[in-house]
This record gives sequence, C-alpha cells and structure tokens, in this order.
Amino acid sequence: MPSTSFKDDLLAETRNLRAFAISLSGSVSLADDLVQESLLRAWSNSEKFQPGTSLRAWLFTILRNIYYSNYRKRSREVQDSDGLYARRLTVPGDQESHLDLEDFRNALTKLPAEQREVLTLIGASGLSYEEAAVVCEVGIGTIKSRLSRARAKLVELLELDVAPQPPAERKVRRTG
Amino acid sequence: MLIMNAVRVSKFEKPGPAPDLPAEAGTEAVQAIGRALEAHYADLVQAPLPAKFLQLLARLEDDKSASKAQGKRDALD
Repeated sequence: MPSTSFKDDLLAETRNLRAFAISLSGSVSLADDLVQESLLRAWSNSEKFQPGTSLRAWLFTILRNIYYSNYRKRSREVQDSDGLYARRLTVPGDQESHLDLEDFRNALTKLPAEQREVLTLIGASGLSYEEAAVVCEVGIGTIKSRLSRARAKLVELLELDVAPQPPAERKVRRTG
Repeated sequence: MLIMNAVRVSKFEKPGPAPDLPAEAGTEAVQAIGRALEAHYADLVQAPLPAKFLQLLARLEDDKSASKAQGKRDALD
C-alpha cells in the first residue's frame, strides 16, 4: 500500500520523469500522457519498488516500457507541435564553445532513439551506468557503446571541430 | 570516423570509468555537447509542471485514504 511519502517521492521525481519523457518522445503532449500513465502504474505497483534503490531509475523504466510498447509510433509525428522549445536559450557558462541550443536539439532528434535515451540518462538525468543499463534492459557495455556513438554522431551533426581551434572560429569546420 | 568509433567501443565493454570519444574526436567537443545537453535538460526540468500531475497524485492518495477509512468502518460493523 503506498504511503504518503511515496506520493511525495513520486511528485518530487515528476519533473525529471517528464523531462526524460519529452527527450524520449520528442513531444510534450505525448510526454504528458506517458508521465500520467507511468505515475498511475507506479502507484498501483508501489509494492514492487525496492526502498533504497533509485526511484528515478524505476520510474524511467516504467515510462520507457510504456513508450516502447504503446507510443513509439505516435512520437515523431507530433514533434514539438506544442512549442515548449519556442524559447531560444543560450547555453549558460558557455565561454569555450558556442553551441546554439536550438541546433543541439535538432541534432538530438536525429539520433536513433536508443542512443538519445542513453545520452539523456547518463548525461542529464544523473543515472549511473548500472542504472541506465537496468532502465534500457541491456548490458553496461552496450550503454557505453551507445553513449560513445551518440557523442560521435552529435559531433558530426553539429560539425564540431575536433582539432585545435583558432580563437574566433569555434564550430565551423568539419574534420571528419 | 563513425565506423572507427563503432569498432573502438569494444574496448569499453568492461565496467569502469565513463568512456569518452576517442582522443582524436576532441575533448572540447565532448564537453560542449555535455554542456548543451545539461542546458537542454535543465530547461525541460524547469518547465512548469502541469497541475494535472499533482491532482492525479492527490486523488490517488485520497482514494487510498477513503478505502482505508471504509476498511475501518467495515471492521467495526
């Protein structure tokens, strides 16, 4: 039986769960459906959550399963139709390399889903390699190789210069 | 380039520290990607949370309380 604190714990993770869902599906409205379904499923299966393990990873696992089972086909058709990305932000503290966030998001959508989700889990959601492996139901080696490929693909898509750069020229040359 | 990376990943198969791109791919580029990813994600996390999620969890909890109370009444009857 869920306790009051379990509800609070779920609520505390909902923003992160939603961010993961948006990254995974590419759509805010789809992500919200996914989050709602995940919260319901988490609540009704609360006895299966093991205290002391990562609630975030557990919730991500639930959401990911729902997404790949039921929603994946719907995803890219409605991408960003609801305008969460309308704001153009610059990357904070970005003294060394100017990466336009809009460019980055466009590049991110071009990655295969399994690379994008690993990149998000490790690079942004704060999951460990072990937790990401559980969430994605693959081995740690696969997580690492997907992460490596995702980064390499982004370097290519964003035409990031991988050689020493002149000071005034930061992402202009493709060396591959 | 990508094909080479795909081959190279095999050396990361064992558990250990985070792998990065092969050295020639540029640490700076990887760091730039890392920063952009964090900024992208932070933007999503900071977005206003729709009230329906709070309402959903509140309703679930209320339902639980109601069923508990009903259980107590049943026990007393």
